[in-house]
Amino acid sequence: MTLADTKRHSSDTGAARGWLSKNLFSSPSNSVLTVVVGSFLFFVLYAAVKFIFFDADWTIISVNKRLIFLGRYPQGEEWRVWPPLWLVFGLGGLSYGLLARASRRDLVWLGVILAFILGFLAHGGVGLLFGGATLFAIAAYRVGRMAEDRPRLRSRLRRAVIVGWLVLIPFTVVMIAAFGGVRPALWGGLLLNVLLAIVGIGVGLPLGILLALARASSLPVLKAVSTAIIEVTRGGPLVAWLFISRFVLPAFLPDWLQVDPIISAMFIVSLFTGAYVAEIVRGGLQSVDPGQSEAAHALGLNTFNVTLFIVLPQAIRAVIPALISQMIALWKDTTLFTILGFTDALGGAEAAFSQTEFIGRQKEALLFIALLFWSGSLGMSRLSQRFEKVLGIGER
Amino acid sequence: MTDNDSIDARVPIIICEDVTVSFGDFQALKGISARVYEQEVVVIFGPSGSGKSTFIRTINRLEEHDGGRIVVDGIELNDDVGNLEQIRSEIGMVFQQFNLFPHLSVMRNITLAPQKVRGVPKQEAEEQAMELLERVGIPEQAQKFPTQLSGGQQQRVAIARALAMKPKIMLFDEPTSALDPEMIKEVLDVMGELAHSGMTMMIVTHEMGFAREVADRFLFFDEGLVVEEGTPEQIFTNPKEDRTKLFLSQIL
Ligand SMILES: Nc1ncnc2c1ncn2[C@@H]1O[C@H](COP(=O)(O)OP(=O)(O)O)[C@@H](O)[C@H]1O
Ligand SMILES: [Mg+2]
Repeated sequence: MTLADTKRHSSDTGAARGWLSKNLFSSPSNSVLTVVVGSFLFFVLYAAVKFIFFDADWTIISVNKRLIFLGRYPQGEEWRVWPPLWLVFGLGGLSYGLLARASRRDLVWLGVILAFILGFLAHGGVGLLFGGATLFAIAAYRVGRMAEDRPRLRSRLRRAVIVGWLVLIPFTVVMIAAFGGVRPALWGGLLLNVLLAIVGIGVGLPLGILLALARASSLPVLKAVSTAIIEVTRGGPLVAWLFISRFVLPAFLPDWLQVDPIISAMFIVSLFTGAYVAEIVRGGLQSVDPGQSEAAHALGLNTFNVTLFIVLPQAIRAVIPALISQMIALWKDTTLFTILGFTDALGGAEAAFSQTEFIGRQKEALLFIALLFWSGSLGMSRLSQRFEKVLGIGER
Repeated sequence: MTDNDSIDARVPIIICEDVTVSFGDFQALKGISARVYEQEVVVIFGPSGSGKSTFIRTINRLEEHDGGRIVVDGIELNDDVGNLEQIRSEIGMVFQQFNLFPHLSVMRNITLAPQKVRGVPKQEAEEQAMELLERVGIPEQAQKFPTQLSGGQQQRVAIARALAMKPKIMLFDEPTSALDPEMIKEVLDVMGELAHSGMTMMIVTHEMGFAREVADRFLFFDEGLVVEEGTPEQIFTNPKEDRTKLFLSQIL
């Protein structure tokens, strides 16, 4: 420490050498490790850069953009997707602005992802629409920041944001499907992955919380029912449930209960997420000191208010990292729907590299899909870190 | 107040008759009968495990009694949930471990219950909270979170939180036992002021100097029973029971 410090004062190169010797070459075995790992990383990076910028032929992506992003979604109906997307951008910006000042690291990532979308995917009119959405998000972020020292505006905006996120799913479904819109069977591409993930989170999260509360309740019937739902659902893999929903259930259900396969897939994904969320939240509930609910009851609060204002917020706060990793898992699990024959993003990519002119271009297509899912996961994990920091103030 | 007639002329606000509480096979309270009169300060003391906490928690039904009768302010404690919430909102409770809500600001800790239980409008609740914080001497801490306060400050917030419900009775379960010595006085001062203002109080404490000053009556607990009861005068100068004498000699 002191050695590195003094060197930093003497010169920059000295400081760099100090850092190197402290962090990478502090002992012979560490030096060997550094060299081995370093050369391995170098070759991987070299191969990746060489492939991405020189060997790869990305025309498979630019030609099949539509297939990957929208699947078999009909031509001429794209406009229906924009308003929900703008809502997401606006809500995202506003939420972030209300939560915290953007860190430089987040800005860099955001810039990279935006540059990627605008430069690579969005040409012409689509580029303008995306650019508009981006500007909208930035403006919403500014508004959120402005509210920082205006409590009344702040609480009003906060309420608006919550309402906004709540109406997002119904709004999206109405926009896409209602008024002579697009049948669920034609929803596809990344749009389908996003919809499945949003429904899975939007329905699965509250469902899971309710199941956890029911399982922790003192009413035997409630407890038994919720335990049964949780354990049965968790007893099978998601893929098995998807197959059951597609091929087994329809045989047992009466005609009036037959729904579109995508709707039943959404049902399964919500239930599945709900079961896992329930167990995570149950852990959180158990971690809350019993003195908390005693103190709240002693003030005369009824059980509903004690749960809503005292126990649940602390329980959920304790398990945010686990909840977010469940959400990230769900986001990636949405690709499992290809096995049922839906053309989601991965299905679109597969369709693309089975086209005769693109045979042998799996690498490009799959790498691109990986990038899409990775940026989604990264966004969620960054957001959760923000969240934890912001919520950390009141922690024990 | 040794004159029995004058005691009976006053109104008992808490009546306990032969109250028993069990945890499984173990009987923690073996038949407690006691009365607390309006504006009275009753101090409960006795060895660890003698049932002091259990008794005080039974009075607002954080523990359920399985025998006897408890009547608070004319309402009998039973399975009726409406009764229970009514009684709880009239009894303030202060815990050894403070039990502040760590995810809420000091202000919100105090205003939550008045708003949700009594339906007090937000602004009024906050004004009242500021008055209470001034009364306990920490108005400048309103926007902080509990973990940012010292133990003594936290316990004073807990007292303010309980007072915000305008309770008729305040229960204290060893309120200074979790505090560093230098913070005990600031909490006792607040409690002393409360006692002088005419609040009805039941206090479990071993701060005997303080207790002697504020108490109208002492209850000595041992093994789930009230072994001796008396004025400070009687207890300190002329305890009747050997067990009381022995315990006092250990803690004084
Ligand atoms: N929740 C509980 N479960 C089982 N036993 C308990 C419980 N609470 C208290 N007890 C027992 O009841 C007795 C009285 O406890 P308590 O009222 O806390 O004593 P005090 O406050 O006087 O130290 C003790 O023997 C204790 O072990
Ligand atoms: Mg105790």
